[in-house]
Amino acid sequence: MKQKVVVIGAGIIGTAVAYYLSKQNVEVILVEAKDIAAGTSGACDKAIMLQSKKVGPALDLAIQSAMIYKELEQELQQDLEYHNGGGMILIENQLELNVLQERVKQQQAVGLKVKLLSGEEIRRKNPHISKNILAATWCEEDAEINPMHTAFAFAKAAYKNNVQIHLHSEVVELIIRNNQIQGVQTTNGAIYADSVILCSGVWTKHLLNTIDLDIPIKPRKGVILVTEKLPRMIDCNILSGAYLAAKLQIDNDPSTVGVGLAISQTKSGTLLIGGSREFVGFDPTVKGEIIRAIAKRAVAAFPILEHTNLIRSFAGFRPHTPDNLPILSDIPSIHGLFIAAGHEGDGVALAPITGQLAAKLVTRQNIDVDLTPYRFDRFSTNTVS
Amino acid sequence: MEDLLICRCEGVCLAKILQSINEGATSVQGVKKRTRAGMGYCQGRTCQPILRDLLKEKVGTNSITQLQKAQAPVRPIRLGDL
Repeated sequence: MKQKVVVIGAGIIGTAVAYYLSKQNVEVILVEAKDIAAGTSGACDKAIMLQSKKVGPALDLAIQSAMIYKELEQELQQDLEYHNGGGMILIENQLELNVLQERVKQQQAVGLKVKLLSGEEIRRKNPHISKNILAATWCEEDAEINPMHTAFAFAKAAYKNNVQIHLHSEVVELIIRNNQIQGVQTTNGAIYADSVILCSGVWTKHLLNTIDLDIPIKPRKGVILVTEKLPRMIDCNILSGAYLAAKLQIDNDPSTVGVGLAISQTKSGTLLIGGSREFVGFDPTVKGEIIRAIAKRAVAAFPILEHTNLIRSFAGFRPHTPDNLPILSDIPSIHGLFIAAGHEGDGVALAPITGQLAAKLVTRQNIDVDLTPYRFDRFSTNTVS
Repeated sequence: MEDLLICRCEGVCLAKILQSINEGATSVQGVKKRTRAGMGYCQGRTCQPILRDLLKEKVGTNSITQLQKAQAPVRPIRLGDL
């Protein structure tokens, strides 16, 4: 009999895992509490950025994932709005220049095609960038994708490969007998399976708590602004050095809000302007002062945007882990239970490689990547006392 | 009838809306994410009630729980004015 696998969560990670599992000789059931891309994957930006990753495991995975993205539209036979337009990180002062210069050297040493550009050079690439921007780093390997399209495309391709998809079925219990997973209890009945993989992002902690396990994934809220449609004016991903600092800050003080600029233009013409990072639980309220702080940074970097209309803001909850690395692992104490979650702001960039590795992990195949940095038990507090 | 324009801002016709419901959308959000209806300049002010009616007719969902999340700004505002 075929191995039967339940995938919990139909965001970009869960749909990717379901798709790559569907290419194996297993029976796959994708279970989702709401709808495809209804959570974090439908409330994020669209960057597949390599130069924003630290040299080490995060960058290694991102590079592999970026390779898969190049061929993904063809493989899935769907338009994902993929665009390999490069990316830059804007440098506003000498301190940022020093930090990023060092970073570029480290990234070049592992083969990433990244370099420093002068203010003049970046304004030749994009004449709208403010004269106050000193310099920028440039990486031609950075790309963009529409994350919602990608989640829907993975789900459609999985469905074509006979994956059963249960939307609006919330998993309320993990069924376990003698430390072996037996399946899941959903709001629409029980589903029995040999293996279960949790791809439920910020909601993973809640599910694990029901079986007295814990995981340090915390929702980190990010606000993004959407403008009216504009003629093409930005052709690549643009971050500010301050954004990167906000992303990587270890400070868990809930009163700290990191705000930096992350800007890109969608295929439809709207600009997506981020972003903030704050720990406020699952409070979705978008505060006026955060919108104002993001808008100020956008206009400072791109003075032409002063007259551009803002039409919407939204908040997404990114699954943050203490070491900024995702969890891709089996759960040693329960046979057959796996996890692929905790990607924070890298879920879009890492979805394809996560899907491929998770499919191999669940079907117990050899994996040529060292998964030690992503292990579930790397955190000291996995058991609820 | 099929080419009836439902969302003017994004140019989404009835056929696409019905197709999204066929493919599993059961909410205004679900239709929006599949078709872009309601994502444009007016943010669904005109098409959202129509989507709600269509969903009620096709999948029988409760129209009161179908409201799109209200998000700032209430009306478009210039970035420079913030």
